[in-house]
Amino acid sequence: MLRGSIGFCALMALAGTLGVAHAFDETKYPDLKGQWNRTAAPRWESASKAPLTPEYRAIYEANVKDQAEGGQGETPTYTCISPGMPRVMNAYEPFEIVVTPQATHFLMDHIHDARRILTDGRDWPKEIDPSFVGYSIGKWVDEDGDGRYDVLVVETRGLRGPRSYDSTGIPFHKDNQTIVKERIYLDKANSNILYDEITVIDNALTRPWSTTKKYARGPDRNPVWGESVCAEGNQHIVIENQPYMLSSDGYLMPAKKGQKPPDLTYFKNNGK
Amino acid sequence: MLYRKTIGALALTSALLMTIGIAQAFDDSKYPDWNGQWRRPPGVNNQWDPSKPRLKEEAPLTPEYQAIYDANLKDQEAGGMGTDPTYTCIPDGMPRAMNVIFPMEIVIMPKTTYILIEYLTMLRRIYTDGRDFPKDFPASFMGYSIGHWVDTDGDGRYDQLEIETRNLKNPRAFDSSGIPLHADAETVIKEKIYADKANPDVLHDEVTTIDHALTRPWTVVKNYNRVRNEIWVESICQENNDHLKIGNDVYMRSADGFLMPAKKGQPAPSLKYFEK
Repeated sequence: MLRGSIGFCALMALAGTLGVAHAFDETKYPDLKGQWNRTAAPRWESASKAPLTPEYRAIYEANVKDQAEGGQGETPTYTCISPGMPRVMNAYEPFEIVVTPQATHFLMDHIHDARRILTDGRDWPKEIDPSFVGYSIGKWVDEDGDGRYDVLVVETRGLRGPRSYDSTGIPFHKDNQTIVKERIYLDKANSNILYDEITVIDNALTRPWSTTKKYARGPDRNPVWGESVCAEGNQHIVIENQPYMLSSDGYLMPAKKGQKPPDLTYFKNNGK
Repeated sequence: MLYRKTIGALALTSALLMTIGIAQAFDDSKYPDWNGQWRRPPGVNNQWDPSKPRLKEEAPLTPEYQAIYDANLKDQEAGGMGTDPTYTCIPDGMPRAMNVIFPMEIVIMPKTTYILIEYLTMLRRIYTDGRDFPKDFPASFMGYSIGHWVDTDGDGRYDQLEIETRNLKNPRAFDSSGIPLHADAETVIKEKIYADKANPDVLHDEVTTIDHALTRPWTVVKNYNRVRNEIWVESICQENNDHLKIGNDVYMRSADGFLMPAKKGQPAPSLKYFEK
C-alpha cells in the first residue's frame, strides 16, 4: 500500500515536470465561454407586478405620463448614464463571461454595463464608493456535489442613482440602499441556456422582488463582438434639467409638444 | 525495457490526470502575472508621448496634418475642442486608450487577453488563438487586435505580448491636445507589452502607430505602475459632462444647467424648430 502511495506521489511529481496547471483549474467551473444573448425584450417585468409602495407607484405613474408626452420620466440612460444594477442584466447587448480565480467578469458593451464580481473570498469593505453597477461579491457553489461548481451566488451593494429597472421607468428608492442577490447557473438540460435568478431588496418595494432572466449562448464559439457607443449619434440632450432633442440635421428641437426653447440669456452679451 | 516502462508511466500519468480532472487546458504559470490594477505614473497627463512635455510631443505629422493640428490648438485656445472628439463621450479608441487615463486591468485567458480600461468601458479583446485578421469586419474605435505571446528570454515562460490592431474608425486623436490621425482611418498599431525586468510592478507598452497623417511610424513607450489590493472607481463620462454638440458646433452647459457659448462671440444655436 505504502509503495502504491509512493508511486502515486512520483506520478504527481511527473505531472509537475510536464507543466500541468494547478493554479487555475478551469475544469472546476462551468463552461460559460461564448456569446450570451437575452431571450426576450430588455424589460424587467410588467410594472403591474412590481410591489411598489404607494409613493413609488405614484412616481412610476408620473413617469409613464411624462414619457407619453415625449419626456423621459425618471429613466436616466437617455443621456448615456449607465443602466446600473440590476438593469444591466436586461442584457441590452450580447455579453461574455470570463471566469478567473479572483473574479468573474461580465463583459457587456453598451453604456457602462460591465461587471466585476469578486470571488476571492473578501468581505464587504467598510466603505464602498457607490457606483451604478455596484460592488459585487460572489461565491461559486457546487450544489449537486459532483466536484464542480455550478452556481454563482452574488450579492451587490454600494449602488447609486438614478436607476430604474428598465426604460418604462419602474423606479428605485432615492436612498439607493438597494441590495441585489443573484443565483447564476446553466440549465441542467441545456448548457447553452443560462439563468440569473435576481432578487431585489429596495425601500421602494413592499417586499423583495424576484425575477429570472434567461440568456442563450450563440452557436459560434468565435463570435463577432460589435462595439456599442451610446454617445455616438445620441439625439437626446439635457438643458435646464429638461430633455430636448437634436434633429437629424443637427438642430435643437423640442422633445415634447409645446416645449419652450431653452433660455439663451448667456448669449445676449457674449463677446460684447 | 526502460523505453517500455517510460511509455507505460506516461500513459498512466495521462489517464490519471484525466480522471482526477487536472487542468491541462490553461497553464497560467506559463504567462506573466499581470493581475492587479495598472495606472499611468504620477505626473503623466493626458498626453501620448510621456517622454516629452504635453504640447511639445513633436508628432511626425505631414504638413497637411500639422496644419490641422495647429488650427486645432488655436480652436482649443479660443474655447473650442479642435480635433479632440471625446468631449461627447465617444471612446478614446486606439491608440489613445493606452494613455490609461483611468486604471486598467489585464485578464489573460488562453485564447484572448482582455484589457479592461475603466472609462466608458473601453474593452480590448486581443485574440491570441492564432486567427488571421477577418475580411469585412466592422470598424470600431478600439479596433480588432490579434496578439501572440513570446518567450523572449527562453526561460519557458511567456514574457511579452505582441499585438497588431487594425479596423479602426474615426474620429480619433492621440490625446486631448488633438494630435490628429488621418481621416482615412487606415491606422495600424503595433505593440509590445512586457513587464520591466527589474520591477514586475512596472509594465511597458511600446506602441508604434502607422498612419497616413504621419511621415513615418511613430513609436512611444507607455509605462504603467501596478497597484495591488486595488479599488475600482466607476467613471461615467456623461455624468457632469457640460460639453454639448449641436450640429457641428460645441457649446457648454452652465453650472445652473443653461445653454451657454463655448467661445467668445459665439452666436446662439438656431431655434428654428421651436418657431413652428
